[in-house]
Amino acid sequence: MNVMAAHAMHKEILFTGFGGQGIVLAGMIVGRAASLGDHRESTLTQSYGPEARGGACSAQVIIADRPIHYPYVRHPDILVCLSQGGYEKYIPMLKKDGMLLLDHDLVRPQGEWKGTTFTIPATRFAEELGRRMMANIVMVGFFTAVSQTVSVQAARDTVQALVPKGTEKMNLAAFDKGHEYGLAVLKGRRKKESGEKDVA
Amino acid sequence: MIEQNVVLFLCNWGPHAAFQTLQDRQAPIPEEIRMVRVPCSGRVTRALILKCFEMGADGVLIAGCEPGSCRYGTGNSAALNRIDRMRRLLHIVGIGAERLRWGGFLPDDASGMMAFLENFCQELRRMGKTPIVPPPPAADRPVTEAAVSGLLKRHDIYACQDCGKCSSACPLTLTGKPFSPRGLASQLMTGAIEAPEVLNDLWGCITCGLCDDRCPSGVHFPEFIRDLRALHRSGNGPAPEAHGGFFQSLMRTMASPALRPNRWGNLDSNLRVDPESPVLFFGGCAPYFDTYFTRFPEVHTEAILHDALRLLNFFDIHPRVLTEERCCGHDLLWSGDRENFVRLARLNAEMFHAAGIEEIITACPECYHTLAHHYAECGIALKCRVTHLFEFAEREIAKGAIGFKPLGRKATFQDPCRLSRLGKKADLPRKLIGRLTLKGFEEMTDRGASALCCGNCAWTGCDRYTKALQLKRLRQVKETGSDLLITACPKCQIHLRCAMEDPFHGNDLAMEMMDLTSLLVQTIQWES
Ligand code: SF4
Ligand code: SF4
Ligand code: SF4
Repeated sequence: MNVMAAHAMHKEILFTGFGGQGIVLAGMIVGRAASLGDHRESTLTQSYGPEARGGACSAQVIIADRPIHYPYVRHPDILVCLSQGGYEKYIPMLKKDGMLLLDHDLVRPQGEWKGTTFTIPATRFAEELGRRMMANIVMVGFFTAVSQTVSVQAARDTVQALVPKGTEKMNLAAFDKGHEYGLAVLKGRRKKESGEKDVA
Repeated sequence: MIEQNVVLFLCNWGPHAAFQTLQDRQAPIPEEIRMVRVPCSGRVTRALILKCFEMGADGVLIAGCEPGSCRYGTGNSAALNRIDRMRRLLHIVGIGAERLRWGGFLPDDASGMMAFLENFCQELRRMGKTPIVPPPPAADRPVTEAAVSGLLKRHDIYACQDCGKCSSACPLTLTGKPFSPRGLASQLMTGAIEAPEVLNDLWGCITCGLCDDRCPSGVHFPEFIRDLRALHRSGNGPAPEAHGGFFQSLMRTMASPALRPNRWGNLDSNLRVDPESPVLFFGGCAPYFDTYFTRFPEVHTEAILHDALRLLNFFDIHPRVLTEERCCGHDLLWSGDRENFVRLARLNAEMFHAAGIEEIITACPECYHTLAHHYAECGIALKCRVTHLFEFAEREIAKGAIGFKPLGRKATFQDPCRLSRLGKKADLPRKLIGRLTLKGFEEMTDRGASALCCGNCAWTGCDRYTKALQLKRLRQVKETGSDLLITACPKCQIHLRCAMEDPFHGNDLAMEMMDLTSLLVQTIQWES
């Protein structure tokens, strides 16, 4: 699929979770897929400090068609949350017409933000696939499907390149699971909108 | 020379008197008429009618007494009813409804009889012969000891250690039937190939495969029985077939290359099929079953096929269906007619290949097992993948965003032998059942690979013992405290419903049945 939109793209993305979930790796995969794979501009910044040692940590990614002059994300277009803490901390910054991606076993959305939300049991899927640690990769797959900011090919290749040697197969399975789930969710929404929710 | 054959079943009473008058007057009765005198037109079974066509009749006439003048009260109305359904079936199978006709006569109506016969024969001459190629007369091929011992070797029956595990597992032996798989094996080994017990056991086995599951020596009894039946069939002729061999006749009829069935006539307009699709939905014989078993109005097996199409449509698959679809042949193979099975299988394979089919999806466990395994075993290689609808559904549902509306039913499950035992896929339907939102699910005492049979396989050997087996099964169903029996094979529904009608048990064993396919379709929904 050609992800190049007709008009110039500029997307600010914030991945958040707690330390040890591989949040930065998720950001790195998405950013690198956009630049090296899809030949766009991208930046990655990560928050250091106390959160990196267990609190809410985050990775900030910007993907754009033009050079990026300022690499920090203040009002994300897409917020991806793998922890309740991260969600609570960053939800006030999410744009009104932005997109929210959640692990629905780990995050309980509350408050007034009511925009487009996609949820996936990423951690549960990762456990079913054999490693809880791969929740970030499941989420990257899901993100790829629903956000349409990076191409599947680029994201998949980058997962393969960046995960530890010897775990590529498992991680690709995790990516595919998240991606497939994302496509199913999109299809489900389309079906619901067109009034084909069930077999009437 | 008249090339056509017309069988005239003539009731002993009114019609026969009329016919006799014609004979006495030496009236020019059309030469193609072959008269068979019967005690009452109501005694002409559908098996008999179909047998005529199978054997080369181009038309069948049934002459009964005028409405209201039946000697036995309801004979002619029963006949009319039956003929009506039979005509529907003849249409679906491609023989044509117009080739079967009923006439009612008073004893003095010789001229009416003459007109009836002439009229029909004239129309039939216009229609021409049926597309059916009658089977060649059974060749004289005695069952030899050499052939039997070849089979014993091929199926490794000599590995039997006489341990008795098969007999203690065999659901038929357990009903008290004087029947023993091990006994059959040892008699054959000692050369008693025509002993009455051997013939009894040969046609009695329901090929359920439980013995196979238990045997420590890996003796594959059902396959052995299947091949031994083929040996006997090619030598000794008919077997104890249920329903007078109706279904075997039906399948043999379909082995004629020029026949063009008219399947899928009842397709709802909101079901989406695509005549170009490389994915074929193979329905199986449900429409024939429904036309035949009208006495079980609750059993509507064709609805399962439509639900299967709905499920495919739900996932955006618009498969092809073939109007000329024939039977897969499972029951011919398992009731000993390998020759016609192979004929049928070849025709099917040619049809799939000519249509460019890449994948066949079916909801029937027998079609699935037959297409996926028996075709190749008999040397017919399909160039397409064969998928059971449950495999397809499980794959799609596992992708996510699918949920199931709650169903306030407590259910249990009848395993289809061809999927759960022979196909070793007992987990597959259970995975799907596990996804449903039921009020409860309770397994029966015997389940999965150890499940009890629904009572019959391949329309062969239905008797009081298999009935006892069915009642045992239905009691197990009741013991689960369920109010719904989930099935996964159209025939399980037919045979079990038949057992539920047992007059000695009234409504004690009655239970609603629903195919897993229909259950999925009724409750599935997109969730996101
Ligand atoms: S279970 Fe197997 S070995 Fe034992 S008696 Fe039966 S066929 Fe023979
Ligand atoms: S296949 Fe079933 S009915 Fe036949 S011998 Fe084995 S257990 Fe008995
Ligand atoms: S159980 Fe009933 S429906 Fe099944 S073969 Fe026997 S008589 Fe026919």
